[in-house]
Amino acid sequence: MQTKFSRTQKFFMMNPFIQFVRFIILSIKILIIVAGGHGGTRRV
Amino acid sequence: MSKVVVLGAGISGHVAASHLRRKLGKNHEVLVVSPNSNYQWVPSNIWVGIGRMKSSSVLFPLKPLYQRKNIGYLQSKVIQFHPEGDLEINKPFVLVESVEESSKGKLEKITYDYLINATGPKLNFEATEGLYPGKNKTFSVCTYNHADHAWENLLKLIGEMKNGKNVSILIGTGHSKATCQGAAFEYILNVEQELRRHKVRDKATITWISNENELGDFGMDGMLLSYGGKQIRSSEMVEMVFSERSIKWIVGAGVYKIEDGVAYYENLAGEYKTEFFDFAMLIPSFSGHGFKAYNKLNIEITEQLFNGFMLVDADYTSKPYEQWKVTDWPETYQNPNFSNIFAPGIAFAPPHSISKPRISPNGREIFPTPPRTGMPSGISAKLVADNIIDLINDPKTTLKHKGSLGNMGAACIASAGYGLMEGSGISITTFPIVPDFEKYPTTHGRSIKKTFGEIGLAGHWLKLALHHAFLYKAKMRPFWWLIPE
Ligand SMILES: Cc1cc2nc3c(=O)[nH]c(=O)nc-3n(C[C@H](O)[C@H](O)[C@H](O)COP(=O)(O)OP(=O)(O)OC[C@H]3O[C@@H](n4cnc5c(N)ncnc54)[C@H](O)[C@@H]3O)c2cc1C
Repeated sequence: MQTKFSRTQKFFMMNPFIQFVRFIILSIKILIIVAGGHGGTRRV
Repeated sequence: MSKVVVLGAGISGHVAASHLRRKLGKNHEVLVVSPNSNYQWVPSNIWVGIGRMKSSSVLFPLKPLYQRKNIGYLQSKVIQFHPEGDLEINKPFVLVESVEESSKGKLEKITYDYLINATGPKLNFEATEGLYPGKNKTFSVCTYNHADHAWENLLKLIGEMKNGKNVSILIGTGHSKATCQGAAFEYILNVEQELRRHKVRDKATITWISNENELGDFGMDGMLLSYGGKQIRSSEMVEMVFSERSIKWIVGAGVYKIEDGVAYYENLAGEYKTEFFDFAMLIPSFSGHGFKAYNKLNIEITEQLFNGFMLVDADYTSKPYEQWKVTDWPETYQNPNFSNIFAPGIAFAPPHSISKPRISPNGREIFPTPPRTGMPSGISAKLVADNIIDLINDPKTTLKHKGSLGNMGAACIASAGYGLMEGSGISITTFPIVPDFEKYPTTHGRSIKKTFGEIGLAGHWLKLALHHAFLYKAKMRPFWWLIPE
């Protein structure tokens, strides 16, 4: 198992331009999960 | 005309009251009873606890807002439930005690047609001997007052570190069955970053202590996540983060006693150990408030409403972990004995934990109780409000709005450090919150498409954006209802 982040991973995590794109993507992904709704689990 | 009484003005109580007010005609009354005169956006208390946000930025007074929006408000705390009324009053009521300066201690019977118990948890510090914010070098960030206090003391310690003192910092859970690991996780990463910012990181040993069996359990039995195109376990993800930040960890630890700068704990192997510290932030056990309930003849019927937390439409039959099902979890948060009482958010009694129960050889239960974060608290409150509106319009209707934690996703954006350019966040989404091993047998009970993790600056921006969006929503500013729970 990888125990620390690689240099590339760290660059990716803190680069503001890449992260701005990730911010948009992340917001949309989260909105999809929220808007995806919720419901019961029992059959009636 | 109907009267809906909402107990508590935290995330779930306030969400329920605001939706009820927006959707119900003016002829219906909405009354909120809550002891704290302020609304607080609890998730941002983490930043108050590291001095990067003032407590005034995470709260606002409720009374002026409720006055403007035609929501009744009593600064009181509920102490008794009388769901059948009594010999004097032929209507259900709750007995409340005023905490407002001018009428402190005054008791009042508040009648209702529908009751929403959104009183959240009692922060049960007493369950751990010696654990109390400000005592024995332990602090809390569970409320804005606690967080202010924690920061005052952390700042003092930073001053001492600047003068050359080496210190130990301990952050995690302060009870063998505490929950809310996520909040402690955020705090430890924020503290670590602040020490670096103050250039004293080399003076501190930072240790995570938790009742989780392994890192990244978060009271959710851990997660299998998609991360950077791969599938990894939440334990691996957290281990990488802690290793990166040189944070040590102790897991499977049930803290049972605190003395000045010493935490006593038992681990899952049954060993009794101690950990020394100069500053600790330990999440206490969360319990019910110990409310009592009485019938019309004033005979106690507490067990019809509470088992600590409030009983709802969950399956409370005791069964082993292997037999747990998503169907055990409630869908409507309606009390089975009194159909006009509901309990969203943290106030409802969960059927069991989500994490696998574990017991030490000496018989101590050491595992997290189930977390109920902001999103499910808000969603359950909104669906309770919608069902009550349907019931007001047609008392014979069946409840249509449902939201089980076994069929609901959650997004947890954990702050890992503050700062517009140097901040970081760990964004984790899960679907469903409670694993459904029948539906998703190969991916630890969750949809791998909807269960993902991401680490980086974007997470910090997102957490900050959510802070502003949710406070905007809570202040009921124009079009607030368009912002989802
Ligand atoms: C430090 C911290 C950080 C967190 N961070 C996050 C996060 O990043 N994301 C997330 O999703 N969740 C987070 N959470 C969890 C989130 O705060 C809870 O899920 C949420 O607050 C639960 O809402 P609630 O309304 O059920 O309870 P609470 O928010 O606890 O509200 C309970 C309300 O009831 C009132 N009350 C108490 N006793 C009485 C009484 N006797 N009578 C009447 N009213 C009473 C209280 O004053 C309060 O207004 C965090 C929690 C903590 C402690």
